[in-house]
Order: sequence, then C-alpha cells, then structure tokens
Amino acid sequence: MTAARLLIADLGRVPYAAAHRLQHALRERRIAGSLASDVMLLLEHEATVTLGRGTRASSLPVPTDELARRGITIAEVERGGDVTWHGPGQLVGYPILDLSRHREDLHWYLRQVEEVLIGTLADLGITAGRNPGYTGVWTRGRKIASIGVHVRHWVTTHGFALNVSNDTSGFDLIVPCGIQDVEMTSVQRELAGAVGTELPQRAIAAVTRNMGRVFGLTPSPVELAELLPDHQDSPEVVATFRNGRAI
Amino acid sequence: MATKILMEALSPTMEEGRLVEWKKKEGDPVAVGEILAEVETDKAVMDLQARAAGVLLKQVIVPGTTVPVGNLVGVIGTAGEDISAVVGGSSPPSKPPAAKAAAVPPAAATPQPAPATSGTPVPGGRLKASPLARKIAADRGVDLAGVSGSGPEGRIVARDLEGAAASPTASPAPRSTLRAGSGEPFRDVPLTQLRKTIAKRLAQSIGPIPTFYLTTEVDMERVAEARQALAASDLKISFNDIVVKAVALALRQHPGCNAWWQDDRIRYWNEVHVSMAVAIEDGLITPVIRHADLKSLREIGAESRDLAARARDRRLTPEEYTGGTFSVSNLGMFDIDQFTAVINPPEAGILAVGSVTPKPVAEGDRVVVRRRMRVTLSCDHRVIDGATGAAFLRTLKQMLENPLAMLA
Repeated sequence: MTAARLLIADLGRVPYAAAHRLQHALRERRIAGSLASDVMLLLEHEATVTLGRGTRASSLPVPTDELARRGITIAEVERGGDVTWHGPGQLVGYPILDLSRHREDLHWYLRQVEEVLIGTLADLGITAGRNPGYTGVWTRGRKIASIGVHVRHWVTTHGFALNVSNDTSGFDLIVPCGIQDVEMTSVQRELAGAVGTELPQRAIAAVTRNMGRVFGLTPSPVELAELLPDHQDSPEVVATFRNGRAI
Repeated sequence: MATKILMEALSPTMEEGRLVEWKKKEGDPVAVGEILAEVETDKAVMDLQARAAGVLLKQVIVPGTTVPVGNLVGVIGTAGEDISAVVGGSSPPSKPPAAKAAAVPPAAATPQPAPATSGTPVPGGRLKASPLARKIAADRGVDLAGVSGSGPEGRIVARDLEGAAASPTASPAPRSTLRAGSGEPFRDVPLTQLRKTIAKRLAQSIGPIPTFYLTTEVDMERVAEARQALAASDLKISFNDIVVKAVALALRQHPGCNAWWQDDRIRYWNEVHVSMAVAIEDGLITPVIRHADLKSLREIGAESRDLAARARDRRLTPEEYTGGTFSVSNLGMFDIDQFTAVINPPEAGILAVGSVTPKPVAEGDRVVVRRRMRVTLSCDHRVIDGATGAAFLRTLKQMLENPLAMLA
C-alpha cells in the first residue's frame, strides 16, 4: 500500500486574515469529505501579532495603538497558546490533517509537529530539541519555532512558525508564548550567517520532507486552485487567492 | 433524561483541560455533534461536542476554569427538567455573579494578612471579554464592567471598545498617599497549563517548595562611602537599610519576583512590602516594612529599628508581621559570608545577605582590596524561573554598586 498523499501548497506571502479564511474553508472541506487528502499550507505573513486562547494581558506589554502605528496587524485566533509574532522571513506551516486517520490524540500531534521541526532543523544543520512543559522547538536555550493548534472534528488548523531569516526583534514587542524572558532565535542567526540566498527554499524543502516522514505521508505539490475546485464553495477565499497568490 | 457534559480527554496523557469558551448559552437547543465549548490543553484548542441532543440546561463551570478530565462541565436535557440530582446540591454558580473581571479584584481595605494555605478558585467573577478587548481596555483605562458586549453570549470584543472612554470611577480611591502607580494592590494570574506542569514536576523533584539558589557578589565601596557621608550629616543608616531599599526598588522593576504562590494562581503584587527576618529569643519573626519602595532611607532605617526592637519585646501586632511580599534575611552582623535562607511562604523569594568584607578583587590586571558583600536569592521555582531571579539580582547589584541610581 502506498502512503496517502500530503498536498503541499506553497503560497508565498499572505495576509494573516486571508490565510485564516483559507484554513477554515479547507477544514470544512476536509470534515465534509470533499477534500480527500491531508494538506499543508506553507507561507509567510506580513508583520502580525496573534493572540491565542491562552493569551494573558501581561503577554502584550506594548499598547495596541503602538503596534498599529508600527504597521503590525493584531489578530485574535482560536488556536491554543499565548501571543506570538509572525512576519516576513518566518516560515509558517498550517497542516490541515484529519487526525482520525492518524491518531486521535492532541498531545501526540503536538509532539509529532515538534518532531517535524526538529528533523527540519537537523537537515539545515542545527541541533534542536524539546523543552519539556514548553511546547515548541528550542536550540541552545533559545526558542526557534512556535506551535499552536486548533482541532475540530479531529481536523487540525493552525500549526507552526519556524524563524528562518526573520529579524527576531519582532518578538521584543510581546512576551512570546507568555514565557517571560524567553529568547527567540532564527535559523540564520544559529548558522551565524553561513547561509546562502536559497535558505528559504531549503527550509521549505526540509519541512515538506519531514512532514512526510513523521506523518507517513507522501508530499505532493499542489496549486491552490486544485484545493478549492468549486468556486461556489468559498468564493471569498478563491477571490483572495486568485492565481494561487494572495492579492 | 439529563446527560452530563464531561471534560473529555483529548489525549490519553491529558489530565485536565481548561474550558476556554462556551459556544452555546444555557437554554440553547443542541444537536448531537454540535460544538458546545472550546477546551485547551497545552498549546492545542479543541471543540467539545454534544454527545446528546436537547437543550443546554446548565453551564456548570465558567470560561477560564481548569478541571480534571471526567469532571462535570455542563448538563444537556429537556427544557424545564429538574437537574439538581445531576449537578448536586451545591453546584457553583453558572453565571458570574456580577460583571467583575477576575484579573481585577477589589482593593482590600488593609494589606492582605497572611493567606490561608489553600483557597478555592473563584468560581464566578469572570467578565466575558476577549484577550484583545481586555488589553485595549487596560491600555485606555476603560472599565469593562460598563461595556456591553456584541460577541457570542455578550462577550466583549475589540470593536465594542471603539469610542469607549476611560471611566474615572474605574479605580477605587487610593487608600494612602503612599500608593504607587496604578490602582490595584495586586494582580491574580490563574495558573496556565504550563505553569501547573512546571509546578508539579518541580515539586515532585525537590519537595513542597521547589527552591533554587542564586548567588552574586556585590561591590559595596560606594554604598559604604554613601553611608559615611550620610553619617557625617547625623543620619544613621545601616547597610541593611540600604539593602532593603535597593531590594524594594529592584522588585518594582522585577514584579516576577514580588509574588505569592497561591496554589491555583500566582499573585503578582503591585505593592512592595519587605519582610525582614529578625532573630528573637528562641526563634525568629519577620516584621514587614510596608511600601518599602516608596520610603526614604531615613524612614526605612527608623521603621526597621522600631520593628526589630518591638519584635524582640514581642510587642508586634499580627498586622506588623504578615503580608510581606518578599523577605530579606541578613546574617552579616554574625560575620556570615554567605548562606541560603528558607522561603517564607506564600512569598516566592528571600534574599540572604552576608557580611560586608574587604576582599582582594581583580580590577583589570591588578588586585585591589574592595569591600564586598555576597547575597543569595532563594527562589520558589513554581513562581520564579532562573532567568527571572537572575535579572532581579543583576538590577539589585547595579543599584548597590551605584547607589545614586536609587535616587533616579
């Protein structure tokens, strides 16, 4: 038996709200059965601060007006976890997986996503690991990737954010994940500049390969249009992603 | 027939879950498979689905509450059904009794006396508002109790705050001119899953209060000079008075160390009350210098001498030796170079202060003799992490090594 497919959509830079709507549309199709395969969206966001369900007021020490003045969007989302930052240079992955076909176990899923990121970083030459009690991926005491997920009818949305080449100063505006004094790092920083211009592409390839390995799926690139064949399904989302790119 | 809604295990390793939000109101009809609520475990949120059809008769727990897997969170049945047998005689209220944010408890009339060791979590008392709405309200000084919510179940969302102005009546009148900064004396933070996991694991490892210790050595030359200068103007200030003042100011900058462990929450104090360990015949007692961050060295000196003298005579009232937010224990006068102090619960930190001693110190490539003092911070690891304690000590060291900074 060949492994089931994992459809990989590489979307480029996408505004947060548009990606959010797309995830919901795909989740509904996955729950309804009109989407037969698991999917992973790979993208990066404009500078955005998102507040998860576990957000505490102390995690956002900068006034919201100040964030707006700096051109940072604020979004409240249904994923677990506290506040985090997204922005250019950070590789964001949103796996839309039907866990009833894998294992109906949220902790297992969180650990598997960590495994994907640890494998990805190993491929890029960085030794990373878990920090028990702190979901996410860490290297040398610094946090390099964040995880926050939401599950409905055992179908996942949200996912992970891997700091690839982004300036981690975006995190200075918040208390990432509500953990005081956490230091964030990135792949580029850990490799101390010994990276080529192809780093983003290598990161995308590594994360794709490791998603397939860890979840026992065969990655297969896909155009967005194939994921949303029926324009009636979610016309708003289709319009946003016309030609496979957010506009 | 009423059906219990239970906290479900979303993973075999899940022991408890936090109910994030109800998606159905009491009285709403529900169908099998419909989403009743959202539940969080670690960094994952999952929907809680209805296992039976009928009407949501009761929300047994309020959003934000964490309960063990298998505990009752709500009841589904037919409209008008008597469910007292299901929820039990003394179920907690399903609705917040009044619009009052849990994060903003009413100011106590007097500083809190030493707390009972365990408190039941406040069952109600939580205003429905999104985190962003809370943030905006806090930034603008808006009292959420006066805002009507347009979200699900009247939840206050960010757009409800558009145009909302700060309400002048939002904060109670300060009870003393010494009150610093904004409003409330403290801020209760319910424990997150993460904080609970840390607490459980560390307590398993080391004992009921998982303590760790951080030591640093402080150059006291400038404090000694300042003390001499003050003595010349007939102001008798002890090293300990200066340490207490510096500790209080450093705590203001590091509220993470100015906190109480409260079993189900951490109480971060916005006020600084320094407990001062005083040896008395056959024991010790910790009188409290209240609002030490706001008092002058002269006031701290006078107060600590008065408290210590009355402590030795056993003439302190309970109010005078309870309610501290952080402790200082000084054995320098006994020529102790360095020691570790035992935490005074529910406080999360105590600073053990050693003697001020001339020592050889490398200064560049020369060895010079400087007056040095070793301090050791004992930290309750359920509240204070290593980096948090270290950052506090760094500030304290900077203040003592440059006492003029304390005037700033």
